[in-house]
Amino acid sequence: MSVPASTFLLPSIHSAPPFFTQQPNPSTQAIAVEHWTHLILSYARHRRLFVLRVEDAETTGSDWDEILRNPRINRKLLPPYLSHILSVMVASDAAAYEPPKQTRSVLVHWRSPDEWAQALHSWATATGQLNTILTFYDITDPPIESELTGIPIPLLRKAIAILSKTNRAQMIGVADGEGVRIFAAGR
Amino acid sequence: MHRRGGVGLAAFDRHEQSKRSFAQLSSALSQSQVDHLHSQLNQFRAALARFASTHRESIRSDPTFRHEFQQMCSSIGVDPLAGPRKGGWWAEMLGLGDWQYELGVQIVDVCVSTRERNGGVIEMSELVRLVSKLRGVSGGVITEEDVVRSIKTLQPLGAGYQVVDIGGRKMVRSVVKELDEDQSVVLEIAQLEGGRIVEDILVQRKGWTRERARAALENMVHRDGLCWLDDQDEECGRAYWVPSAMQWDV
Repeated sequence: MSVPASTFLLPSIHSAPPFFTQQPNPSTQAIAVEHWTHLILSYARHRRLFVLRVEDAETTGSDWDEILRNPRINRKLLPPYLSHILSVMVASDAAAYEPPKQTRSVLVHWRSPDEWAQALHSWATATGQLNTILTFYDITDPPIESELTGIPIPLLRKAIAILSKTNRAQMIGVADGEGVRIFAAGR
Repeated sequence: MHRRGGVGLAAFDRHEQSKRSFAQLSSALSQSQVDHLHSQLNQFRAALARFASTHRESIRSDPTFRHEFQQMCSSIGVDPLAGPRKGGWWAEMLGLGDWQYELGVQIVDVCVSTRERNGGVIEMSELVRLVSKLRGVSGGVITEEDVVRSIKTLQPLGAGYQVVDIGGRKMVRSVVKELDEDQSVVLEIAQLEGGRIVEDILVQRKGWTRERARAALENMVHRDGLCWLDDQDEECGRAYWVPSAMQWDV
């Protein structure tokens, strides 16, 4: 399901050696983190990656190597800097710590939970599955691949919670875990 | 039978007559209102002049009183610094405008004379101390607040004087885009090197001491944001990059 890495067009700042160093000047640093946030979000969107961990900067071979490293200029993002970038992203809601109460791993919000809620509702409507009980598995691994294929459960929960607030979804306990029923519009 | 308005041609005359009377009455009324307003304004002026002459000295010499006065002015929406064009008599009477500009000139004096030593950044308390010294005992006590206010009055000059917060300490910066000689040298070499600059290059090519090279580079990173730091440099471990001289667009 992942798109091959090589089709992603890296921004030119990615070839700048100092881009991989945490900047001591706060305003310079703010600019750099803004670029990193943008890069991480667009790369995640491109490859449909959901989870970014501090470990991804520690070892090679992760899904994120292409942006966390630049072998041509022999630079890599070091874990403390990645950790800082993640904290800024979480603060601006571009990511969320998952699981909560730790700072080593985030869910990347290349779509906001609101947008995911909308996508879920549109998908249920378009595939004629309103008012029926759907298990989480039905949503994350449907017979016909959808936008929601592979969505992590915590993110799916957030989307459902958002729909529930406007009475467009209801959580339901089913035999093998949890399910959800999605409604056309607010009741 | 008696009709109030009367009949015949005489009625027209009477009508005209009453219209004229009403007009006279109305202009008399507005005239008295204007007069009243004038007299109020005169009273206000007189009160203000009295206030100014009584408290002028206190305003100039007592920082607490000055603070209270500024607060009062801002709460009633009067700018005591307004120039001669708008509400000038207020400023004239108090001489506060001149006082503030005078302080501004003294601030510039201190900033410029210490620039070589501190590179154009001076700590607020130090600035207040030096300005007070310059003013002498007769100048009265000045506070941080006065300095901040005066720096604001310097803004139209475009000299770039600014109060900045560096690590929780208030600093006054008097060089914004103005580069000193060392910085110009650094920028020049960076331009030749495709943006990269290290201490060694400055030591070897320009014969600078290592301290001078480091200070210039660190200043450009921390103070001016003119350089980006790279701590993964293969050769020196720590390199500086000048974005304006690099081949990528930030």
